[in-house]
Amino acid sequence: MSIYRKQRWKPFMVLFILPAAAIYLIFLLLPIVDSLRLSFYSGSGFIPKEFVGLDNYVKLFTQFPFKQRLWNAFRNNIEFFLIVTVVQNVFGFFIAFLVTRKILGNHFFRKISFLPTTLSVLVVGFLFKLILNPSWGIFNKMLFAIGLSGIIQPWLGIPATALPALAVVVSWQFMGESVLFYTAGIDAISDEILEAARIDGANPFQELRHIIVPAIMPIIGIVTILIFIGDFTQFDIVYAMATTQANPAFATDLFGSLFYRATFSTPVRGGWGMGMGAAVSSIMFILVFSAVMIWLYFFKMKGETDE
Amino acid sequence: MLKKSLLLFVALALVFTFALSANGQKDSGKAAASQEKVKIIFTSWRTEDIDRMNRINAVYMKKHPNVEVVFQPINDNEYDAQMKAALETGTGADVIFLRSYDTGLSVYKGGSLAVLNDLIPAVNDFPSAAKKAWSTEDGKIYGVPFAGVTHGVYYHKDVFKKYGLQEPTTWDEFIKVAQTLKDNGEVVFAQGALDDWTCYEVVFSGVCTNWWGGEKARQALMAGKQKLTDPNWVSAFKAEDQLQQFFPKGYQALDYVSMQQMFGTGQAAMFMGGSWELGVFEDLGSGSEDIGWFPPPLVHKGDRMQYCFHVDSGIGLNKNSKHYQEALDYVRWTATPEFAELFMNELPGFFAYTPGKYNLKNPLAKEMIGVAANADLTVRAVWEKMSAQSPSGNSLMGEALTKMWKDELTPEQAAAYVQNGLATWYKPFQK
Amino acid sequence: MNRLKVQKKFWEIILFVFLSLYALTILYPLLLMFLTSLKTTREIFTNPFGLPATFNITSYVKLLTISHYLKYFKNSIVVSLVSLTIIMFSASTASYILAKYDVKGRGALYLFFVAGLIIPIRLGTISIMRMMIGMHINNNLLSVIILSTAVGIPFGVFILTDFIKMIPEELSNAARIDGCTEPGIFRIVILPLLRPALAAVAIVNFIPVWNDFWFPLVLLKDDAVRTVPLATALLFGQYSTNYGLVFAVLSMASIPVIIIYLLFSRQFIKGLSSGALKG
Repeated sequence: MSIYRKQRWKPFMVLFILPAAAIYLIFLLLPIVDSLRLSFYSGSGFIPKEFVGLDNYVKLFTQFPFKQRLWNAFRNNIEFFLIVTVVQNVFGFFIAFLVTRKILGNHFFRKISFLPTTLSVLVVGFLFKLILNPSWGIFNKMLFAIGLSGIIQPWLGIPATALPALAVVVSWQFMGESVLFYTAGIDAISDEILEAARIDGANPFQELRHIIVPAIMPIIGIVTILIFIGDFTQFDIVYAMATTQANPAFATDLFGSLFYRATFSTPVRGGWGMGMGAAVSSIMFILVFSAVMIWLYFFKMKGETDE
Repeated sequence: MLKKSLLLFVALALVFTFALSANGQKDSGKAAASQEKVKIIFTSWRTEDIDRMNRINAVYMKKHPNVEVVFQPINDNEYDAQMKAALETGTGADVIFLRSYDTGLSVYKGGSLAVLNDLIPAVNDFPSAAKKAWSTEDGKIYGVPFAGVTHGVYYHKDVFKKYGLQEPTTWDEFIKVAQTLKDNGEVVFAQGALDDWTCYEVVFSGVCTNWWGGEKARQALMAGKQKLTDPNWVSAFKAEDQLQQFFPKGYQALDYVSMQQMFGTGQAAMFMGGSWELGVFEDLGSGSEDIGWFPPPLVHKGDRMQYCFHVDSGIGLNKNSKHYQEALDYVRWTATPEFAELFMNELPGFFAYTPGKYNLKNPLAKEMIGVAANADLTVRAVWEKMSAQSPSGNSLMGEALTKMWKDELTPEQAAAYVQNGLATWYKPFQK
Repeated sequence: MNRLKVQKKFWEIILFVFLSLYALTILYPLLLMFLTSLKTTREIFTNPFGLPATFNITSYVKLLTISHYLKYFKNSIVVSLVSLTIIMFSASTASYILAKYDVKGRGALYLFFVAGLIIPIRLGTISIMRMMIGMHINNNLLSVIILSTAVGIPFGVFILTDFIKMIPEELSNAARIDGCTEPGIFRIVILPLLRPALAAVAIVNFIPVWNDFWFPLVLLKDDAVRTVPLATALLFGQYSTNYGLVFAVLSMASIPVIIIYLLFSRQFIKGLSSGALKG
C-alpha cells in the first residue's frame, strides 16, 4: 500500500526506533521470559539459585496445599471472570445502546459512566470494603431502611458471596470501559445504513438485531479478552477488600493474589518462596497466552470469511 | 537535523534521569555536610503505635540531639515479607522489630542482622526462655529479646454489673456468663472470623490454652509425641467451636479492626484479645476504669493455670545500616530498664523481659503480669519450628479454625486438617 | 400515530429513569466518600447517610500533618510526567518509521510492539525485581518510571502509527523538495500535526500510571519515595480505626484523577475509542 519501494534501513531509522524498542524489550518482554526460567529454580533466599528442574511444577500440581491453592485460584478466577464478563458485556452494551440514542442527558451519562474507571482499584476496593462492613457499613443499613433486611448478609465474610461481591465491584468500576467501547462501535455504524433501515420500517429491536449486534461482534471479542487479561492478573481488588490472605479462608483468592502471596509472603502468612512464585506466574502466562491465541484465531477466521 | 532531534530526545531523557538522581544526592550530601541530624529508621508491625512510639523516641532524641529516630511501621499482614525484602535488597530499616523463632531466624539467615552477644553485653542477662526465641542453636543472639504478650478476655464492667456477673475462672462458668448475656439480648463477643490469625493466635492459643494443655503438650507436639488429633488438642478445637453461638450477627465478615472498634466503643460485652490491645481500647474510649480482664478459663477448678505468654518482639540491628554506630547506640538503649519502663507504660500490655523492677501504671497490665507468677508459661501452639515452612502451622490453623467457626469443618476435621497439612513436611509428624 | 408517540415518550422516560439510577450508583458512593471524610467519627456512626453537620476538615489537616502527603503527591506527579514524556517521544519516533518507511521487517516490528497491549507486565515481576536490585534503583522512583514507560509504549505506537499514516505524503514531499532531511521532516512536518494524538496517548496512559499500585508495592520501600496509591494502602492500614481519616485518605487519592478526567474527558474518550475500533 505504501507508495515507496522497499527501503533499506538507515541509521536514523534505527535510532528512531531504538529507544522505544529497547525499553519495551528489556523491561517488559525479557523479564517475562526470565521469570519462566526462574520457575525451574528454588532457594530459601530472596533470589532463587538452585536448579531443581520441574520440581516446582510437580509440587504445584500434586502436593498439598499447593495443588489445592492453585485449583482454588483457577476456579475462583473463572467464576470471577464469568461474572465480570456477563455483567460488563450485558449492562455495558445496554447502556451504550441507550446513550447512543436521543435520550435526555445522554452525553452526561456517557461521561459519568467512565468516572469510576479512572479511579485506582485500590481506592474503590477500600471504599466498598467500608460500605460493606457488617457492623456499620452503609449498604446493609440501606437494605434495612428500604425493608430488605431479609437479604442482609455478611457479604465479605462468607465464601458464597465474597467472591461475587468483589466481581461486582470490579464490574461496577470497569463498566465504563465497556460502555465506551460499545458506544464507539455503535457510533461507527454509518447513519445511512440506520436511516435506510428506519425507512424500511425497522423498529428499534430489529435495528438492534440486524444491524447493531452484527456490527459490534468484534468489540465483544475485544472487551472480553481485555477483561480476561485484567482478571487473570487482578490483585489490587483482593488486596483491598480481602487482604493478601484472600479472606475468608482463600475464598476470594485469584491468580494475582496467589502469585503475590506465594512470592512475597513468609511461610507464616502462606508464602511459598520465589521459585514457586515464578512457577505460578508462568502458569498465569500460559493461561493468558492461550486465551489471546484463541481470540486471535476466531478473530482472524472471521476476518477471512468477511473478505 | 538528524543529530538535533536525536539529541533533543536523549537530552530530555538524561535530564530527567539526572534530575532524579541529583535530587537524591543532594539530600544525602546535605546531611553529611552540615552535620544535620542522623536519621535512624525503626520499623515494626505495630502500625497502631505510631504516636506512642514517637513519645518514647522523643526521650531518646532529647539525650541524643544529633539523632532522629523515625518510627515507620508496616501493616502486620505485609510486615515480614516487606521488611525482609527491603533488608535483602539493601534498603532496610536500621532498627527492626523481629518476631520470635523461625520468622526472626530467617531474617538473620538472610545475612542482615548483627550478632549482639558482644556488642550489647546486657542481652546476655535476659531470661533464657526469651533469649532462646531470638538466637541461633549455638547461642548467637541477633535480637534484643525484648517483649512478650499475653492473652485473655476483656469485658465491660458496667455490663457485667448490670447482670450481676462475676469474672469466670472455669470454662463452664465462662460459658454460663456468655449464655446469660445472650439471653438478655446483649452482643456477647466482639469476635469475627474474617482475619483468621485471630482465631488461632488469640482464641486457640491464648484463650483455649488450658484445654490443649500448655507447655508440656506443646513440647510433646513439637517432638511428634502428640498429634493434633489427640484428645487434649481436639478438646481445644471443640471449646473454641462452642464459642461461635455467642458471636454477633455478621461475624463472618467482621475483620480485626472492626472487632476492636466494636468492643472499644462499647458495642459488645466481651472480647477475646491480646494484652497489646489495651492501648487501642484506651484510644477508643474504653480505659482501664471501664473494662476488666480475666485470664484463660481453667478446665476444672483448682487446675494450675496454663498461660500463653508469647515471645512477641525482639529488636534487631541492621548490620549494613548507613548509620551503624547511631543505630547500635539506639538498640543498646532498648536493652536498658529505662526503655523497658517507658515502653511498658506507653504501650501497656507489652511486657519487657529486660531484667529490672518495674512499676506498671496500668492496673490491667499489672493483673496480666500477675497471673504469670502462678502459672505455667507457654507460647503459641504451632509457632516454634512448625511454622518454618509451607504449609505453615500458622496458616493451616488459621484456615481450619475460621472454617470451623463457619461450620464448614467439625472440630475433629479441623484438627485432622492441620495435622495432615503439617505432616507433608514436618519430620516429627511423618513417623 | 398519536398512540405511538405516547408509547415512545413512555419508553423514553423509563429508559431515562434507568440511566439516572445507573448514574446514581456511580455518583453516590463517591459522594459518600467525600461527605464522610468531612464528618467526625461520632457523626459517621450516628448519621451515616446525611450531610455533615459542619464541614469538618480536621481529617485532612491531620492527614497532612501525620504523613508526608505532599511528598507522595510530588512523587506521583514526577512518575507520571517523566514516564508520559518518554512514552510520547520514543513512541512517536518509532511510529514515524513504522508508518512512513517500508523497511524490511516493518510488519513484524509493528506486531512486536502491539503485542505489548496484551502482555501483562506483572508476570515478569520477579525478574524485574532482580534487575532493579542489580541496577540499584529498586528503591527509586526511576524504577517505576521505567516500568510505566515500558507498559505505555505499546499503546503509544498503536495509536500514533495509524495517526501518522493518515498524514498526507504530499506534506513530507514538499519539505523534501525544500531540502529537508528525513529526521527533519519528522520534527518540522509530523510532530506539530501529531499534537492531538499525543494528547490522547498521554491522557489515556496517565490513568494507569497514576493508579499503579503493584510495582510501587513491590519495589518502593522508603517513605520518601512513596506514591499516592502506595501511601493510600499504608495509611489505610495504619489509621484504620479512624474512619474520618480513612475516608480523607481515599478522597485525596481520587480527587486529582477525577478532576483531570472531567477536564479532559473528550480527548480521553476519543483516544480510547479509536483504540477500540481498530483492535
